Amino acid sequence: MDSKLHLYDVTLRDGNHALRHTLNSKFVSDYCKIADNSDVWAVEVGHGNGLGASSFLVGKSSEKDIELLTIARSNLTRTKLAVHAIPGFATIKRDLLPALACGVDIFRIATHSTEATTAQKHIEFLCNRDATVHGVLMMSHMNDISGLISQSKLMQSYGAKAVILMDSAGYFLPNDVHERVDAIKNALDIEVGFHAHNNLGIAISNAGQAIQSGASIIDGASMGLGAGAGNAQLENIVSTGIRNKSINVDISKFLEMSQKVESEYPDKLPLVTSSSIQSGMAGVFSGYAPQVKLISEELGINPQNLWEEISRRKLVAGQESMVREIAQDLMNL
Amino acid sequence: MTDEKIKIAIIGTGNIGADLCARLLKNPQFEVVAFVGRRSDSPGLIKFKDYVKFTIPTGVAGLLEISSDFDGFFDATSAFEHGRHWEVLKPLNKWAIDLTPSQVGLPMVPELIGVSDKFRIQKDTFANYSMVTCGGQSSAPLIHAISRNSEQVLEIEISSSIASKSAGPATRLNIDQYIESTENLTKLISNCEQVKAILVLNPADPPVMMRTTVHAKILRYDLVAIKEEVKLITNKIKNYVPGYDVVVEPYISSLNTVSTTVKVTGAGYYLPSYAGNLDIINAAAVETAMRHTETIRGKPIGF
Repeated sequence: MDSKLHLYDVTLRDGNHALRHTLNSKFVSDYCKIADNSDVWAVEVGHGNGLGASSFLVGKSSEKDIELLTIARSNLTRTKLAVHAIPGFATIKRDLLPALACGVDIFRIATHSTEATTAQKHIEFLCNRDATVHGVLMMSHMNDISGLISQSKLMQSYGAKAVILMDSAGYFLPNDVHERVDAIKNALDIEVGFHAHNNLGIAISNAGQAIQSGASIIDGASMGLGAGAGNAQLENIVSTGIRNKSINVDISKFLEMSQKVESEYPDKLPLVTSSSIQSGMAGVFSGYAPQVKLISEELGINPQNLWEEISRRKLVAGQESMVREIAQDLMNL
Repeated sequence: MTDEKIKIAIIGTGNIGADLCARLLKNPQFEVVAFVGRRSDSPGLIKFKDYVKFTIPTGVAGLLEISSDFDGFFDATSAFEHGRHWEVLKPLNKWAIDLTPSQVGLPMVPELIGVSDKFRIQKDTFANYSMVTCGGQSSAPLIHAISRNSEQVLEIEISSSIASKSAGPATRLNIDQYIESTENLTKLISNCEQVKAILVLNPADPPVMMRTTVHAKILRYDLVAIKEEVKLITNKIKNYVPGYDVVVEPYISSLNTVSTTVKVTGAGYYLPSYAGNLDIINAAAVETAMRHTETIRGKPIGF
């Protein structure tokens, strides 16, 4: 494998969105055993919205993050254990300290693409304890390129060793990915990563483009298990990378991980549904899909109108409780 | 009578301090004696220097020299700094109203005074009231209404979204303290240990109005009574926060919680109307200062 390219597996975190946060320790244990023998660089584990996000607002976890992390830790020796944490949901005391104690290798501290300053405390705290910290800019389509550069530079200045651009709504086309990865790569001294969603059916193309444009951390999920239309399918990042010689690994373990997800969760696998296409075109966070479905059915309104209105009001991840108010407003028009 | 005015100092010249200063300059019951920052080029200090007797760019130590000129002070700096400021100013034996989530003083939600025995005005000049957070002030009445009209609160969650432009550097650095102190206030009002607070910043332009949602898992409750109580308290709060509106009435959600959402539109003293978060905490702070002064003077303000 090209030593510079890191395959980062979000199945056990973003995939938890697709499972409505019902991920259990048995599956984490089985999956990590396979992943540990694969060329996956890191496995990310936890609630879909990251550590400490289990809530009525974005969904309750059936098992605590720390339980899932503990079982993952005991099954990973080669592959790194990683977490995602959003300041505003996760706190240092309640969530990051226990994760540190559990032996997490990589901490991804994530903010909306314009709010990097909310991560300063958390990144600095972890860096002071010699943890490896990566900064994440979520919903990166909601900031322009110069804005993404300045936000990435902030994360770098706090001590992040990489910055990951998330296309959380699956909005980007490959050229958008190229422009952003290339610009940030040139402006920063640290590694750049990319996280795709498949709303428009091009997550694999976007992930491939990110590699070509110089991203060295590429996110994917087995069977694409992730929020909304899912993530870039990890085994196809590998297959296409092998074909164009950007990746040199043994695909068999990736296929085994994929089969594990497929057989365990046959009815939870993400699809590019009309709803995910609407959310992708509208640039709305994929995690809103369950709320939009529920409320549009309950109140009898067209989900497309709801997606468009959510987009018009520029909601970011974590404002799920506004979907009802917006739906009420649409009904009163 | 001018000598009956409440004479105060404001520490911190960021968004919250500047809004508070603008608000109190317009309030005939108050006299802003001192506005304290740490830099002479601070935009807040420059803006108000012609309207305030003392603008002090050298920090709280400057207040010690003019201690006989003011009755109490508001601290609008950060959770980290409030503890230090309180240590320096404590010997002055004055009241403090803390707008940071430091949790140094007693939590205070003025509309719950006399309604809940957990919020009491001190009968001594010397006091430190914590205004907790904007999420705390906006959710407290809802939590109170829900708790009072149910037998037990099993679990409760407060989530707020605010406009990015209304969140200054201290708010951003204090986000963990924000969560912790909002959760502690929630525990205090609901008598429930299973609490969670969430804060989301939204950068949309034009900026979004603040929203706070409460989700509560409760036992043996009366939804009609909850709705009535929310209405009652909302009307009371509107006396000092006119932009406080229930946008989703209490309802039973698909998660089997009782849930409700309020929107807080700011009065627009310093930042525009999107800064409802500043409006509600500053309005509550001013209300607290009035109630405290009334109590120690033993008569209503202005008499």
